[in-house]
Amino acid sequence: MTLPFDVSRNGNEATLVIRGSLDINTAPALGEEIDRLVVTRPTKVLVDLVGLDLIDSSGVAALVKLYKAVRAAGGQVTITGARDQPLAIFKLLRMDKVFNL
Amino acid sequence: MAPPIRLTLPGTLRYRAIAVRAVAEAARLVSGSTQRDPNDALAHDVRDPFDTAVVSAFMEIFNNVAIHAYSRDGEASTIELTITPDADQIMIEIKDHGVPFDIDGVAPLPEELDEYTLPEGGMGIHIAKTMLDEVVYEPGPPNLWRLRKHLSAPAQQLRNGSSK
Repeated sequence: MTLPFDVSRNGNEATLVIRGSLDINTAPALGEEIDRLVVTRPTKVLVDLVGLDLIDSSGVAALVKLYKAVRAAGGQVTITGARDQPLAIFKLLRMDKVFNL
Repeated sequence: MAPPIRLTLPGTLRYRAIAVRAVAEAARLVSGSTQRDPNDALAHDVRDPFDTAVVSAFMEIFNNVAIHAYSRDGEASTIELTITPDADQIMIEIKDHGVPFDIDGVAPLPEELDEYTLPEGGMGIHIAKTMLDEVVYEPGPPNLWRLRKHLSAPAQQLRNGSSK
């Protein structure tokens, strides 16, 4: 299975690009990647959702986990590019305001 | 009226994408939406509000059955899917033969959301109930989920090309 995300680092900053479907089948792998990322205590994390077509509650939970962990360590998380079904889900869950979408 | 679409799948997450695709295409029959790229049969292209609601809710219910009724990767029986796309609504029945789900035990989302109260679970049933007009669960055996979504009047007009 092709994982629907890429992580790149530039010093203390990280960019996470997520595409395709982030769901109950793919979110666990992202969760493991988030665990590896968070222990490095990045100061800024950019999450690019332009290529994300579908998300379910498992995918949302993975992003919430990332957001909470980075913020708890004093870092910043910027989520950009949410559109269509994923944006509708964030709005339904009222997370669009927390994530500043 | 066309007969319902019936699909029987193993009740594991490995077969989830097949079920989601079937539901997405059935939703398109009702909404009249088209794919961004009709030649890309594998695209996850869900933009229309009706399709979004139906697909989002169904994904959560399928997850719920695979995880709670059939304990994710454990011994799984089948999921029997009946999809009835009509002119102005879609009905989906999802039947499983696993452990009944305690739908009344699902906690509501927090009233006030901030970075400390963002939930990391328990969102699936909330998504399904909010997105659809009807979510009925009848514990079994067999357990039965009945989902219904009406096409809004403006969407019907758009589909029929009679919007004013």
